[in-house]
Amino acid sequence: MRIIEDELLKWRFKRGSRAALARIYEKYVNALLSLAMGLLNDPHEAHDVVQDVFVSFAQGTDGFEVKGSLKAYLARSVVNRVRDRARRKRSQQRRIDALATTAGGSAATDRTLVYSERCERLSAALAQLPCEQREVVVLKVKHEMTLREIARIQSVSISTVHGRYRYGLNKLRALLNGDMDHE
Amino acid sequence: MVTWTMNDNEKLKDIIRDNLDVRADERTYDHMRNTVLDAHEHTGRTASASSLALTRSILMKNPITKLAIAAALVAAVLVGISLFSSSGSGVVWAEVAQRVQASRGVIFRLTEEIEPDPYSQRVDFSINHYSSTKARLDRYIGGQIVNTMYNDCGTKTVILVDHSHKSYVQDTNAKDMPDSLGIADPNNMIERFLATEHRELGQKTIDGVLCEGIETTDTALYGTRNPPDSLTAQIWVSVETGYPVRCESEHIRDDGQKRLKWVSDQFQWDVELDEQIFEPDVPAGYIDISPDEW
Repeated sequence: MRIIEDELLKWRFKRGSRAALARIYEKYVNALLSLAMGLLNDPHEAHDVVQDVFVSFAQGTDGFEVKGSLKAYLARSVVNRVRDRARRKRSQQRRIDALATTAGGSAATDRTLVYSERCERLSAALAQLPCEQREVVVLKVKHEMTLREIARIQSVSISTVHGRYRYGLNKLRALLNGDMDHE
Repeated sequence: MVTWTMNDNEKLKDIIRDNLDVRADERTYDHMRNTVLDAHEHTGRTASASSLALTRSILMKNPITKLAIAAALVAAVLVGISLFSSSGSGVVWAEVAQRVQASRGVIFRLTEEIEPDPYSQRVDFSINHYSSTKARLDRYIGGQIVNTMYNDCGTKTVILVDHSHKSYVQDTNAKDMPDSLGIADPNNMIERFLATEHRELGQKTIDGVLCEGIETTDTALYGTRNPPDSLTAQIWVSVETGYPVRCESEHIRDDGQKRLKWVSDQFQWDVELDEQIFEPDVPAGYIDISPDEW
């Protein structure tokens, strides 16, 4: 259902439909916020990234940019912006680990995004994975993308993605061992 | 509550699915939504698409306006925009635009490419039927039609029939749908093309047809609000018939990271299209999966 509805939304949006854009926002904003949180472990940055993605998307209605899956397109946009932020942070000589260690404090005071304590803990654990593994795990499990789609986003082979997925899950399992209960 | 022993990947995946859940609160949701819609509004895309369609509609119906446009084209020649002809050419470009406008119907193939292609699903090409107010787009993969889109600008109705999933979605009240079908619309493309700065390419034979071409690198072809980084687009017109034979565009975006190309060819111009071809054909048993609200 999502695919065919998205085809029509894309088609209408390309022709300038404000209603189609509103529907795309409504449909995907929370999924993208969850994705961004899983990649960034920072609600402020997750919010900024998702807003930037939608604003850029809203301004880019010319041409044929959005081909194939709309969901995959938006997810890829989030991933690219997360990578850009990581690059900027490195260039500013800030520790990458700051993404993981500062998030808890900011999350505690930021309630413009709604998430549980378990989400915070999971997000903090994800932040300890290498970014390539973190991307694969979140995109595959939470965003339900195929390994093939993820391989295209990461510009690597499917087998490489599969390896990252396996290593990522194993490491995450170790990181969470005994720390979270499953209801 | 069950204690998780960490020995099961499926449980781990369930934990991720269930707990990595972030939502915008109402205030944030509304604020972001308004920001996004404002950004869209400020691109001018909505207004420009509608106004372009409206302009085209008026042009087609009003002979006085046609004369005014012709006068403007003469003025363009006088200021050096070689819009009407090249030396020794059989093609008069202003007449091409007029001929295309007057075409009762057109059938053509559209092929699109994007690199890098981040998606696993893409169609090989689409066969498009356009009349003045209706369009039908049949998209093919491996020689089979995977979906068909029907568009009726008169009734503002869009129906997409997905044969792959035996389902369809329809919007019978698409009030905000512009009359124009966008840049892939050959009529729209000619107008936009002639409005840019362009150069003549001379003649060459395409599919056995002697053609004359023009080329533009003016990124304004895709609008001024969000132009690509660079662009090369060509239109080739039959010297004999004066109708376009091939249109193509290749442009670069995202600081050179993305290449997009489309080609329209196999044109059949001024075809009397059977109205029945635009009647949505939804096979029995297909499921209506239209959302409750657009």
